[in-house]
Amino acid sequence: MAARVLSRCVRSLSRGAVVFNRCDVSAVTAALPLSRDRVFSHLAAGHKPLLAQTPARIQWRWYGDLPPLTLESIRDRVLYVLKLYDKINPEQLQVSSHFMKDLGLDSLDQVEIIMAMEDEFGFEIPDAEAEKLMTPDEIVQYIADKKDVYE
Amino acid sequence: MSNPLRGEVIRLYKNLLYLGREYPKGTVYFRERLKSAFLKNKDVTDPEKIRKLIDRGEFVIKELEALYFLRKYRAMKKRYYDPEH
Repeated sequence: MAARVLSRCVRSLSRGAVVFNRCDVSAVTAALPLSRDRVFSHLAAGHKPLLAQTPARIQWRWYGDLPPLTLESIRDRVLYVLKLYDKINPEQLQVSSHFMKDLGLDSLDQVEIIMAMEDEFGFEIPDAEAEKLMTPDEIVQYIADKKDVYE
Repeated sequence: MSNPLRGEVIRLYKNLLYLGREYPKGTVYFRERLKSAFLKNKDVTDPEKIRKLIDRGEFVIKELEALYFLRKYRAMKKRYYDPEH
């Protein structure tokens, strides 16, 4: 959690730094995330008008992190994993289909599915909560909750 | 659903699946055998019998760990010592 917040701060800071120094050849090093003082000194040295005319830019540095999860990307990945699972017929698979009632799996298959989700998203799902996840929709909702994704 | 041992059985299944990933004959082979072994006893309801079966599962876990340890030991020995020793 703390690591996420930190990386977000670093990202927004460096984004700002890049925007400030867009036209400044000597300021390549100032784009480093921690050189805050230099960025501000450039600001004070008369680059202020630049700020006003720069449009909001799309973030393009991820520092080795993946692009942030969205509900849509989580759903796509969950469905992708389920389609690859050999006991599920990809044509029958719906976002709301129940693993046992609609897809004809048993509780041991469900454990395997949860393990595949753990591998895909890289965190562990406790047994007590894992046995409640019975549809792809519930899995998406659970992962979104755990990863702080709300949109 | 309400059986208190259910959670333990599922935990055992999960642990065995994790260990089976490195099984010499392949993950798929192990998974099929594991599943049929669990399904064979799915109608057991007596807590004492379930307990016994869980203990057997724990024993299999120990065996698997020993197998992997031995495999690693042999590989190391082959790498670092001459064959005649």
